[in-house]
Amino acid sequence: MPIERVAIIGGGLCGWLAASMLARKVPDVQIIVLSAQGEERGLGIANGGEVLLPQDIETVAATGWRGGDLLKHCSASFVLGTAMSGWRGDGMPAFVPFGEIGAPLGPVPFHQLVAVARARGHAVNIANYALGALCAQSGRFAPPRGDDASVLATLAFGLTVDTGRLRDLLRADARRQGVTEAGMWTGGADREGTTITALHTAAGDGVDTDLIVDASGADSPLAGAFEGWAQWFPFDRAITALRPARSVPPLYTDLAALADGWQAFVPLAGGVAETVVSGSAQGPDVQSFRTGRQRRAWEGNLVRIGAAAAQHDPCAGLQLHLALADAARLVALFPANRDCRAEALEYDRQWRETSDCAFDYTALRLARNGAAGPVWDALRATDLPERTQYRHDLYAGTGRVVLHDGEVFETPGWVAQFEATGILPQRADALANALPTQAITAHLGKVREAMLAGLGRLPPHATLLAEMHA
Amino acid sequence: MTAQVERGPLRRVVIAGGGTAGWMAAAALSRLSGNGVTQIVLVESEEIGTVGVGEATIPPIKTFNAMLGIDEDEFVAATQGTFKLGIEFAGWGREGEAYLHPFGAYGADISGVKFHQIWLKLRAAGIPLPLDDFNMSATAARMGKFDRPGADPRSALSQLDYAYHFDAGLYAGFLRTYAEARGVVRHEGRIAHVRLDGESGHIAALHLDDDRVIEGDLFIDCTGFRALLIEGALGSAYEDWSHWLPCDRAVAVPCARGGPGAGPLLPYTRSTARSAGWQWRIPLQHRTGNGLVYSSRHMSEDDATATLLGNVDGEITGDPRPLRFVTGMRARPWVKNCVALGLASGFMEPLESTSIHLVQIGISKLLALLPDRSFPAHERDEYNRLTAIQWAQIRDFVILHYHANARGDSTFWRECATMPIPETLERKLALFRSTGRLFRYDDELFTDANWTAVMLGQGVMPQQHDPLADTLDQPQVRDMALRMTDAFRRTARAMPAHADFIAQHCAGRPI
Repeated sequence: MPIERVAIIGGGLCGWLAASMLARKVPDVQIIVLSAQGEERGLGIANGGEVLLPQDIETVAATGWRGGDLLKHCSASFVLGTAMSGWRGDGMPAFVPFGEIGAPLGPVPFHQLVAVARARGHAVNIANYALGALCAQSGRFAPPRGDDASVLATLAFGLTVDTGRLRDLLRADARRQGVTEAGMWTGGADREGTTITALHTAAGDGVDTDLIVDASGADSPLAGAFEGWAQWFPFDRAITALRPARSVPPLYTDLAALADGWQAFVPLAGGVAETVVSGSAQGPDVQSFRTGRQRRAWEGNLVRIGAAAAQHDPCAGLQLHLALADAARLVALFPANRDCRAEALEYDRQWRETSDCAFDYTALRLARNGAAGPVWDALRATDLPERTQYRHDLYAGTGRVVLHDGEVFETPGWVAQFEATGILPQRADALANALPTQAITAHLGKVREAMLAGLGRLPPHATLLAEMHA
Repeated sequence: MTAQVERGPLRRVVIAGGGTAGWMAAAALSRLSGNGVTQIVLVESEEIGTVGVGEATIPPIKTFNAMLGIDEDEFVAATQGTFKLGIEFAGWGREGEAYLHPFGAYGADISGVKFHQIWLKLRAAGIPLPLDDFNMSATAARMGKFDRPGADPRSALSQLDYAYHFDAGLYAGFLRTYAEARGVVRHEGRIAHVRLDGESGHIAALHLDDDRVIEGDLFIDCTGFRALLIEGALGSAYEDWSHWLPCDRAVAVPCARGGPGAGPLLPYTRSTARSAGWQWRIPLQHRTGNGLVYSSRHMSEDDATATLLGNVDGEITGDPRPLRFVTGMRARPWVKNCVALGLASGFMEPLESTSIHLVQIGISKLLALLPDRSFPAHERDEYNRLTAIQWAQIRDFVILHYHANARGDSTFWRECATMPIPETLERKLALFRSTGRLFRYDDELFTDANWTAVMLGQGVMPQQHDPLADTLDQPQVRDMALRMTDAFRRTARAMPAHADFIAQHCAGRPI
């Protein structure tokens, strides 16, 4: 029996993302979106601005919208990485760029060269060797052309988006593709065994369905067995605000460690989305949230995506990325038949891998840093899951980066985060150690020169924006 | 009192055993001496024969040779090598049928839809096109042609991928010359005793039968099935996989090339299913390598030898050599200060020509995770973790060939078709059977193209294609597909014959 009808629960950004992608990729299937309580928290905490990572820009194109459309319609702005302050014990700020950092010397990765150079008494700041960091610092940028083989190709950019505007854009698009809306879901459902056959609506007429996509956030009534993460992600209050800003938006997001939490700024065209996350905030604007994940994302004919499946502490800015990855995975594994056990198993395997990797990245940022204060001291004293600690130890020992299938970041992203949180390898690997100092410093010099030459060819970001909006 | 942890680079790496694995390790590690401290020594004995497995290779070998800076023509000539575009599997899915598992990709993805899904869609629409026609290497292989891939990524020729067949003994010799020129010191002698350090349990030294003592910091066990160091001295356990891969014997024999009816020099390996195993045929410049891999529970040694000798296409030039093995791997190939490579680390039958590759990835992991004298546990753990993943992935792929068969002509093949298989393979098969979807796990060696070739070749046909393929316009896709096959065919026709290419670029000296 083929799948004919899909009901999506949640008319927030998360739900419309799935609706829009499915409508284009499986046009023969009827798609119905239901509104739900808390749907604005489908990605996690409700936030006026979110980040599309460089790899997401291609994924989001499956909705029919390209980066250029987002710049025009979603107050999108270019970002090249994150400036992190207060996360290192020595008080030094750091920049975590997207894209490459430096260049390898033969078989020796760049960060190993840095480790050797430092061990031999040379101070090296990796931000000086990453074009993304240099651009962000100096406010120069233009997106590299696809066929550029020069140093500019090491530059990778993400986009910030106004989440409300992106939601409206996707909704309008999905409706043009034939997606319909069925009003408010009551939380009730008809079941045959473990299969959900219909969802109850406030209007009274139920919606029959073959497959249900739950995009209504962590508090969904359809939630199942849950694994909580409070011991590693102790912050559970967020305050978000979208403020206007008239200056040229900076080319980076900003993340500062506070005494009892953290604060992030996501630049948008004409505004900035601000988030403060802590364990103590009080007041009417406070969103409280619970981190953790479902034991299974795809159960029977129910697929949970976004925060309905897993909610991480959002300090790594991955909320939109993870929901987008879920929607894309659902498209890639969209079942041809109602018997979808093979698809469900594979979906869950891939989802858990991605979720594990995002957890590791976030947990190492939060619980293995040099931020000052008793809250952070307690986090540093917490045992991490074995897999997460293993990544830390392997890097802290000899700078090895462990990479799994579900990785959000490749080696440069991990290295930059470790640097930004003050985790430095105790020693470099043997191949790097076999290199003479002169060869290393000459290479570093060459890389730096190439980066600066590349930077010089880029226009000021303000010029680019003026041209775009002219 | 705990001993002072020693720091600093390895002073001496001792490779126990020559052969392909030992000399590959020596050649690759020779670069370490650049630090002015590390010395590489290799101990081997002329008296001990090498098994010389894996005369057929897969494309990543090119990366290994390139890392060493080896000139391809020089290497092919020195090893009596030929070029390999894939493997032909005869009688594997069912008797009388054959398919090619070529190197390189099939066709090109269209709008994010994988090519094999497009192929399935066209097939479902009543347009069955031979899968081989969409692969550059397969198209050339069928015509007996070879040329190096073109540099222009838009050209059909750039889609060609290849590896080599070569004489593994000559390859070891070639690498020995390379390694010795770069400072590797060879000791001739038999290992009589492996001495452990009383406190740490690490290997302290190898004692040779003439009382010489070779001390070292790191030891690499390349002593083949004997596994003198990793098992003999350190007792690392062996994980037996013969319940999935029941073949446990082989018999090998060379024959002359170019006998009557032998045909042209083929640019591919041939693997022919027999009643209780399979027979390989590897064409080299100076001879053809043949062998039969079989299950001793299902076939006697005499029957195996007779089957082999009755099915070679040239004059037999040597005595049949029997070989015994248990498929499986060392659960921990790195223990204390000893890393096992090659047969000492495990055995995978050469069905997909992975023996030399397993040595190669062992070496590259070792280089990436090389410890200092303090031997931190993490590097060892990471090496063992990655090795276990890589071996299990290849194991699953090899099992697929046996399991997905519809031969039914013998107990052996019936047992293979009904045996329980690893859960990882079970899941892969279920997903492919349903919608032809494939996912590559953990950077595995075999890509979607490899799995597609063998799944479809073995007769595993998806019930339907991925619904995503239905968003594509059918006539347009068909035209694109036909243009691809046309380009591959025209390109292959213009290539030189395999034998001519070798004669022109890399002929070995007559032996």
